[in-house]
Amino acid sequence: MTDIIHAFLDTILPSDQTLGVPSGASLDITRPTSRDGIEQRLADVATLIDQTAHDLLESDFVTLSSEDRLKIIEKAKRKDMRLMTAMIIHCLRHYYTDPRVLRCLPAGAVPPFPVGNQMAEDDWSILEPVYQRGPVYREVTP
Amino acid sequence: MEPVDVVIVGSGASGAAAAWSLSRNPSLKILCLEQGERTDPANYPTTTAAWELSRLGDASSNPQQRNGPGDYPIDDSTSPISIANFNGFGGSTILYSGHFPRMHPSDFATHTLDGVGDDWPFTYADLEPYFTLNEKMMGVAGLVGDPAYPEYDALLPPVPLGPMGRRVAEAFNTLGWHWWPSYSAVNTRSHGGRAPCINLGPCNTGCSQGAKASVDVTYWPSALQQGVTVLTGHTVQTIEHDADKRVSGVHVVTPDGNRVFQPARIVVLACGGVGTPRLLLNSKSPAFPDGLLNDHDQVGRNLMLHPLAFTEAVFDEDLQSSLGPHGCCILSQEFYETDTTRDFKRGYTMQILRGAPPAETAVSAYMSRRLPIGPDHHPAFSKLFNHTAGIAVITEDLPEPENRIELDPETQDATGMPGIKVHYRVSENTKKMLAHGIDKSRQVLEAAGGKVTTAFAPVRHTGWHLMGTTRMGTDPRKSVVKPNGQAHAIDNLFIVDSSIFTTSGAVNPVATAQALTLKICDNLQDYLRQAS
Ligand SMILES: Cc1cc2nc3c(=O)[nH]c(=O)nc-3n(C[C@H](O)[C@H](O)[C@H](O)COP(=O)(O)OP(=O)(O)OC[C@H]3O[C@@H](n4cnc5c(N)ncnc54)[C@H](O)[C@@H]3O)c2cc1C
Ligand code: SF4
Repeated sequence: MTDIIHAFLDTILPSDQTLGVPSGASLDITRPTSRDGIEQRLADVATLIDQTAHDLLESDFVTLSSEDRLKIIEKAKRKDMRLMTAMIIHCLRHYYTDPRVLRCLPAGAVPPFPVGNQMAEDDWSILEPVYQRGPVYREVTP
Repeated sequence: MEPVDVVIVGSGASGAAAAWSLSRNPSLKILCLEQGERTDPANYPTTTAAWELSRLGDASSNPQQRNGPGDYPIDDSTSPISIANFNGFGGSTILYSGHFPRMHPSDFATHTLDGVGDDWPFTYADLEPYFTLNEKMMGVAGLVGDPAYPEYDALLPPVPLGPMGRRVAEAFNTLGWHWWPSYSAVNTRSHGGRAPCINLGPCNTGCSQGAKASVDVTYWPSALQQGVTVLTGHTVQTIEHDADKRVSGVHVVTPDGNRVFQPARIVVLACGGVGTPRLLLNSKSPAFPDGLLNDHDQVGRNLMLHPLAFTEAVFDEDLQSSLGPHGCCILSQEFYETDTTRDFKRGYTMQILRGAPPAETAVSAYMSRRLPIGPDHHPAFSKLFNHTAGIAVITEDLPEPENRIELDPETQDATGMPGIKVHYRVSENTKKMLAHGIDKSRQVLEAAGGKVTTAFAPVRHTGWHLMGTTRMGTDPRKSVVKPNGQAHAIDNLFIVDSSIFTTSGAVNPVATAQALTLKICDNLQDYLRQAS
């Protein structure tokens, strides 16, 4: 099952040389939410995509090319939309909260505190047209 | 338990302001009872890179999802808008964004001006000194001189617009519409012994820096120093009154499950817009068989929630839109006041929000089929993340008796106190306002060069602003408290939170709610002097 899930993660979130982001397969997606039954859902996803690969391409999911794996994942989604969508969302959430991924994004400083981002100085002359119009609120006379 | 002069129920935005204000009188013995627990800023989700995940659990603004020690069941399944809050020391300000605009002068006279809602029993000018005092206590960033308001005294320097804010501001200028840098309860420099903001962004899961003005770090330290006692994990289940219709104290469940009676000369309620009516409705007696102060069937009615529309656009350039605090970056009140050429009364605020953080960007784009998985994922993601601008339209919600909360006999919290049921529908007037707001949001985002990808209303998980359920007025048949926050039916019972708003305005409520609390507490000091 581990091999299937790794292949699944590497297919949906492959590494990208240009951006320097790692493959989804390098993350431990089971750890943070192990209390919400993720192990069972991972097993169900592994069974579903491997079975679909056998049914359609008569092959193990892990031995397929990444193009074929993606096609199989799409077919599996059609078989069990709820399970597959929930798993893909789970993977996206964990991928985009991993410090290694965040550091590759133009997301500024990454927690933990106290690292932060500079507060830039603004030029408020951009408000000139707003000032010029004068008051826009309604006066209320008692 | 030892008798006290004042018991305050609830430690949130209004409970904290009340505790500080009343404890300036050193002769008063004041106790605050809070059903939730203390949070520890050193352990806020923002201290980890995975902070976004906490929004699905402990730091969710949905009490049903969070299911924390102070939470109670809320059945809002038939309402298009679900209730959001936080039940712990500091109340919902722990999670709030810190948008801090005041209500407008016209908000206090909707009936006189527009023939809708009701007039407040006082004016903006009456509240003005309290707005100013409260802004000093909380620490509010912004810019004085906004033509949408009477003059402000002083504010901390505004939070920078950032490239996205600047781009949208230019579009407002092109259209000739009002805009202004947001009023934000965020320290842009050190203030009140608190550090400045470090511009990271995850304010809605609690600010570990102490730069966002949640009341645990603003009013509470001074109130505690002035001698107020706070007991967390203490749920007030009912309020007791005597034969003379005077409150004698409250019945409390302690953290170890004991039931005790807390005697008090005065009871001040600050349990929030659904918590306050819940406690009153649960306090039944032969004199008030339908709940305390409910002799005219007004408690729980006129719930106002500020239905919200959301429009988002994607830009070709990286506008660094996700950087910076949440309570930002621009507001526009071009469509705030009634315009007789439109098909609705009253109006709305447009709030230009920071772009979504990475995980939220990925999930919402995947769900709306704008983000593929596979080899095309990363290039598509980098065209979305930090490239978006969103506009929230906050509409004025007018009071309607049918919009209400009731006790839910089917559910109970951990202490056995009933949960609540929410009955709410969006009015025709509001629906028209939401449609107008979406149209105008589209216009401004397109003028800024964005491509609108999302536009809908009402947004379900946005019942953050809970108002009107024990409204203030002069007629005891149509309101629950007098203009000074004192209950019509019981002399020594006061309500100080946004439950008593007569109408809702179209701005985030805390600036007005806390100013109102401070005003009521000044009157309460007079009442106490006379009583003694
Ligand atoms: C995610 C989020 C974002 C928001 N953003 C903004 C914003 O940007 N600007 C703005 O103005 N507003 C915002 N709000 C709304 C704002 O936080 C609330 O309007 C405000 O905190 C209400 O103050 P309150 O004192 O009435 O209630 P709360 O702050 O909710 O405090 C009530 C307290 O009473 C306690 N309590 C209730 N019943 C009992 C009982 N029976 N016994 C003991 N204790 C009890 C509760 O546990 C709670 O701690 C936001 C809210 C949320 C949830
Ligand atoms: S952006 Fe500023 S206010 Fe928000 S959590 Fe960070 S330090 Fe606090």
